[in-house]
Amino acid sequence: MQPKIKPEVTPLLEEVQRLVQRGEREKAYQSSLRATSLAPDEPLAWYLRAQAAPSTEEQLMCLSRAYSLDSTAADTKKELRTAIHGLLKQEPFLAYVHETEEFYQVRSGRDLLINIPKNRVFERPYLRKARGLAEPAFRWLTLSLLALFLGGVGAVLLAPFTAFQALRLQTVSGSRSDRIRLWIVFSLSVIIWLISIPISWLFLIRFYP
Amino acid sequence: MLVRALYLSAIWFALSLFATLILGARLRRRDSGLSLLWLGAVILIGNLVATFTFGRFFEIFGLSFFAFVFGLFWIVRLKDWNVFGQVTWAMTLITTGLFVFYTSLLTAFSPLNPLSFIFALIFFALEAITLLMALAHMHESLDVVCRIRWHRLVEKLEPVPGYMPMVSLQVPAYNEPIEVVQKTLYSLAKLNYPNYEVLVVDNNTPLQETWRPLEEICRELGPQFHCLHLDQWPGYKSGALNFAVTQTDPNAEIIGIIDADYEVDPDFLRELVPAFADPQVAFVQTPQDYSDHHGDIFSESTYRGYKYFFEVSMPSRNERNAIIFAGTMGLIRKSVLEEIGGWDEWCITEDAEASLRILKRGYQSLYINRAFGSGLMPFNFEGLKKQRFRWCFGGIQLLKKHWEALMPWAHWVDPENKLTQAQRYYYLVGGLGWFSDVFNLLFAFFLVLGALFNLLSSPVQIRPLTDTILIIPAVFLLLHILRFLWVLRNRLKVSLGMAVATMYNFFSLGWAVTLACIQGLVQREGVFLRTPKSQTSSKAWRAIQVTQWETAIGLLCMLSGLLAFGSDQNWRTFSLCILLFWQGSLYVAAPLYSLLSLNNQAPLEVPVMDQGRPVLEELAARWVVAICMFLIAAFSLIAFLPAPTNLPDYVRFLPIDLSPQEPELVNSEPEATATPAASLTTPIATVTVESANCRARPRGGAERITILYRGQELEIVGRNDDVINPWWYVKIPDTNDHCWLWGMTATMTGSMEDIPIR
Repeated sequence: MQPKIKPEVTPLLEEVQRLVQRGEREKAYQSSLRATSLAPDEPLAWYLRAQAAPSTEEQLMCLSRAYSLDSTAADTKKELRTAIHGLLKQEPFLAYVHETEEFYQVRSGRDLLINIPKNRVFERPYLRKARGLAEPAFRWLTLSLLALFLGGVGAVLLAPFTAFQALRLQTVSGSRSDRIRLWIVFSLSVIIWLISIPISWLFLIRFYP
Repeated sequence: MLVRALYLSAIWFALSLFATLILGARLRRRDSGLSLLWLGAVILIGNLVATFTFGRFFEIFGLSFFAFVFGLFWIVRLKDWNVFGQVTWAMTLITTGLFVFYTSLLTAFSPLNPLSFIFALIFFALEAITLLMALAHMHESLDVVCRIRWHRLVEKLEPVPGYMPMVSLQVPAYNEPIEVVQKTLYSLAKLNYPNYEVLVVDNNTPLQETWRPLEEICRELGPQFHCLHLDQWPGYKSGALNFAVTQTDPNAEIIGIIDADYEVDPDFLRELVPAFADPQVAFVQTPQDYSDHHGDIFSESTYRGYKYFFEVSMPSRNERNAIIFAGTMGLIRKSVLEEIGGWDEWCITEDAEASLRILKRGYQSLYINRAFGSGLMPFNFEGLKKQRFRWCFGGIQLLKKHWEALMPWAHWVDPENKLTQAQRYYYLVGGLGWFSDVFNLLFAFFLVLGALFNLLSSPVQIRPLTDTILIIPAVFLLLHILRFLWVLRNRLKVSLGMAVATMYNFFSLGWAVTLACIQGLVQREGVFLRTPKSQTSSKAWRAIQVTQWETAIGLLCMLSGLLAFGSDQNWRTFSLCILLFWQGSLYVAAPLYSLLSLNNQAPLEVPVMDQGRPVLEELAARWVVAICMFLIAAFSLIAFLPAPTNLPDYVRFLPIDLSPQEPELVNSEPEATATPAASLTTPIATVTVESANCRARPRGGAERITILYRGQELEIVGRNDDVINPWWYVKIPDTNDHCWLWGMTATMTGSMEDIPIR
């Protein structure tokens, strides 16, 4: 949700807009400086200051700030892209500083800190994914499967435990996917248990030939 | 009965495959009548052979009926294949199924101690998985060579009038020699397409002298060329490519990835972009080609090895909309790339991973089997080994991340997963296929161990070495090698010699693949292989040193085979020796190729992308060494544990082995030799197991009279009326008593004809 503009800043921002339209950039810049100091968290203030900024570097810095405060503003995004493009034409160096789900923060060859929009949906990296509810049940299932190859006896004991785990977790699972996963674990553990019985019999008769 | 059925189906399999090898690629039409005729002919010829050797009419009839119905099913299912492909596939399935059933019975009912049984179970699982993988390879080979109707094959795309969307070509570069990238950029400047930009993304190249010239070249080539240097950038190539998307022209609809060492054909975009007129098409891939193969065995076989994937696997996958985006010489729709969240920076093979996520959303992919450019191959074996390690590691990462999306229940868990059954199959087999080399190494290890224990006369059994267990796998091995050479010759249009060289080139990388599989399982994040550092300036020594593990494994296999045969010369140790030589040759090929690659002078030093943390080969191998040590220890333990003292009752469920000599044995005359006549005329049974029960009647559960031990020789005075499952009525030494000894536990010398039936 876009925060409301502070009432004392509104006339100042309107003035900056007017001055920019009239081409009085120096005056517009002075007013925008006041606006950003009065309301440093106001993206429009930074955006308007970028319009009046005397240098490419400052323009980039202001757009970057505006974007980090409001990543949904299409105009900011577009102008930021054009500004970065211009900068990279002069100096193609960018060093990585930091990134969020929405933008990269980079340091340019001229030591400017810039936020660059990512333009894509965020996908949580695999390694940082949260563990699923069914994961403990799957772990028991893996153990049961391994135990099946160890003469089957382990699986005779572990598979029912896995099935029990799956049923227990069913009661606390919230999502449909997890419930299905747990039913699958339950079914597979029953199958493993059924297979493990003849295998463990074959294993045990080796002790009493 | 099972063994007879297995031999009969093996005959059908061999017959149908041999016919396919000769005629499978030539027959370009399909006819149901012809299919039925050929199916019947294969079954009939096999039956004739069986009838005159080991067959029983009713059994042959029953199995033939089943085979015919099964064959019919596949003839109906595989409508787009010719008759040779259909019948060979049906017979391969029958033989593989019967063999797996046979080995399962052998595993279940062989007289083994508990530890041996556990190993037998594990060995059986490995064997079954390997056979399933072989089936997958067989299917792929038949699918591309015996296919007569292609549904998604596109030779050339029709231009769509007025459709010229903006394309952003991204050229990722890392530490690339400027001469190489320059050629690539010059070729891109000549593209015959009006609406494109080129974005050169150099990531993490440490020296300014290396990357600064790129900026100059981009300026020289005009405003549509842009250069970007990313410093201390995370995520390797995919990290850089993800950032590049932010810098593409907002009007760009399509993104193309071009490796920095690729010279691109001017028609690349004009020919491929029309595919995107269909909004469902998300990416298009073309084959990768290489220009630096000079006619020597190493580079030619490496070149063919690369081509195999694009000539065999990709066309087959394309028929099921299951191709992968191969990272270079492909185009991808920008909106789809943004929709899936960009390239995965965790996965080393981010291209293949992204294609799976795209297909999961139900988009279409397209493979155009025409090369639009050529790049550079690794110029020596070390580079090739590192590259294969990286690919395999990425494949395992992909499997680890997406295994659930490939399972049969994937649709229930995630209704948004739109992967079809065929897509899931291809991606799963693609990932699991890497493990074939792990199993290959394990089999080599089991064989070496078998040879060594044989040498030490310490019989460690995890499975009785029946004739069938030696013959049928050998038949499988031979037929699958022939099938591989056949598909190489047919699809790559190479000589037999080059096909063999290409096959060995594949196998010589087995060690690197094994290491990558294990690392992929135990490591969470990306690693790259670092081969041992050399202290010497000798190139030849360096070439050997980078393949020191392969050399050691190969020589160990060959040496143990020779020793096993040298110490005990019989046909079984001979078979073992041949198998070990075959296995050894796969590993010894590595140093040979490494030495051969010495002739290749790299025109320019092109680095193989090293992503992630380095892992020393010695450190990666420690897992393999640890597993081997564990297995040796466990096997030694088996040797110390007592084997069953009596022949257990359950062995009666064992499938009775069919010795190919038996029918001859029945009719054979005693041979005249210089040994005393009595030893020839008196049939003798020699006990071959640790101990065997001698029973009151010729059946497993009958009362035990005495126990006989390994090596004991007994005079045979009678036998039962069953040549397939013989029991010998023997005289107990130093007494006047007699008992029944099961034929499986002893070998018989002398003439069977002279033994009266009791």
